[in-house]
This record gives sequence, structure tokens and C-alpha cells, in this order.
Amino acid sequence: MSKAPSAVERLDRAVDSILDGHSPRIAAADGGVDAHERPLIELASHLRMRLVAPPAAARFEARLGMRLAAEPAGDPLAWALRHPGRLIVTGAVGSAVGVGVTAYAVWRNSRRASGAHRLLHR
Amino acid sequence: MSANPSSEGTRLVDGDLEDVRAAQVDRAAFGILYRRYLDPVYGYCFYLLGDHHDAEDATERTFLAALGAIDRFRDEGATFRSWLFRIAHNQLANALRTRSRQRTDPLDLVREPATGFDPARLATLADDTRRLRAALGTLSEDRRQVVVLRFVDGLTAREIGVVLRRSEGAVRVLQHRALRDLATLLGTSRSD
Repeated sequence: MSKAPSAVERLDRAVDSILDGHSPRIAAADGGVDAHERPLIELASHLRMRLVAPPAAARFEARLGMRLAAEPAGDPLAWALRHPGRLIVTGAVGSAVGVGVTAYAVWRNSRRASGAHRLLHR
Repeated sequence: MSANPSSEGTRLVDGDLEDVRAAQVDRAAFGILYRRYLDPVYGYCFYLLGDHHDAEDATERTFLAALGAIDRFRDEGATFRSWLFRIAHNQLANALRTRSRQRTDPLDLVREPATGFDPARLATLADDTRRLRAALGTLSEDRRQVVVLRFVDGLTAREIGVVLRRSEGAVRVLQHRALRDLATLLGTSRSD
């Protein structure tokens, strides 16, 4: 058996209704608010209309937007752990480049060595 | 706000989740969340700090901290906006602590931000709004937080619970008491 909502729960439900744009009368009915609490619903509606969020200044918005865009990326380790697929690809590409550079260095060394060998035994 | 959460059973469905996931992969996508929540976060800071410049400072710190920690956001019950407002709440606590020895301007004396307000409309609403803000300024800090987060930013009781580290039930009680206090202060407590 479900418990009947308390007065604070009924008021909260009515406030939800006010925030959804309903009139105090409908909100009071939605919440099932007692008659003696109706002035609180009127007040809630009044607060919703009067307490508007003041917009931030356009200059501030632009300045902060630029600052956020310029912020460096976060922790690279955390990023890597969240994207293991990309980490594997990055590792594979890095290894391939490493193998290529090593092979090239070995090949160059061997060519030099054989050239020097030929010069020594000429 | 287009990304308000909706309830699905007992679990909140976070309308921001797709954008948060995009921002976790590509930080440029954080711009969408920034544009969506700049004014709500600024409004929260402004109402609690009562000063335009301090509100900008707290807002800036909030978004920089959020961007730095976006990788750590997980869809585990708390919505993105409650997570973001929790960061803002911490920034506000720091700001209030820093100037705890100074007297904060009461909200009824606070200047409106320089932009976005039509002077003619302001003149018409000034008295009423001033009375409301003055009454709001006399509430205890936790009740004022609940009123601002609920009526200015439209957060649910559950989301406010995440922000303030309180239970949903405790937030509802704070809301009820705050409304009762305001009704008394504004002389609207009589039944019709």
C-alpha cells in the first residue's frame, strides 16, 4: 500500500507544476495542496515570474568562451585509459615508425660498414 | 532550457548526456554545454553573491573546473546540470568564505547586470522585485540556495539534493520552510 504524500511532497509537486508553466490554480490541484497552503502556491508562481536569471554580459561570455577554447587538454593518461582503441592504434603506429627508423638505421650502417671494408681492402 | 531532465521511474534521464559524451571525446563540444548553462550558472552565482563581478568570477571558475573534470563525469544518478551546479556551489562557498569578514551587499541594493534588461520593464517591476530580493536576502543560506536553484534555475528537488549534499526530502522541507518564511515576510501568508 503506498503512503499518502506529505504536505511538503504535495507542495513540491505543485511547484513542479508551476515550473512547468501551469497557473497556481492548476498547480494546486496537481499537487493536491490543502486550502491553507494555497498562498504558498501563489507565492511560488510569483517567484517564478520575478526571479529571472540575469543574463551574463556578452563581453564576459565571449572572453570566457575564448579562455575555455584555449584551455589545454586534460590528463593524457586518463584520456588514453578512456579510449583504449585509440591507444592501441597510436601504439601500433608508433611501433611501426620505430621499426622503420631502426631498419633504415641498420641498413645505412651496413652500407657504410661495407663501403669502409672495401676501402680498407682495396 | 532544452535539456531538462525527465523522470523515468525513479531514475532521472539526463538530457545533456549526449553532449557530455561528445565533450569527453572532443573538448570543442564543451561549447554547447557552456552556451546552455552560462546564464543559469551566472544567475545562481549572482543571486547568492549579490555582485556582478564576483558572480562572473565564480562562473568563470565553475566552467574552468567543469572543463577540467568533464572526463570524470559519470552517468550514475546525478544529472550533468546537478554536477555542474555542485561545482558552482563549491565555488560560491569558497567566494563566501573569502569575504566572510566583509558585509555582503544585501540583494535589494544590488545593481542589475549591465546588459539584457529593458529599463522600462525594470522600472515597472523594480519595487516588487526589490521587495522579493530583500526578503530573499533575509533567508538562511540553505533556504536561499533552495529558492534560487528551484525558481531561478528550475532544478528538481532531487538535483538540488545533489548540489547541496542533502536528501530529496530535506530539500523539500527547506523549500516548504523558505516559502513559508517568504510568505510571512511579504505579507502573503493569509489564506484567500
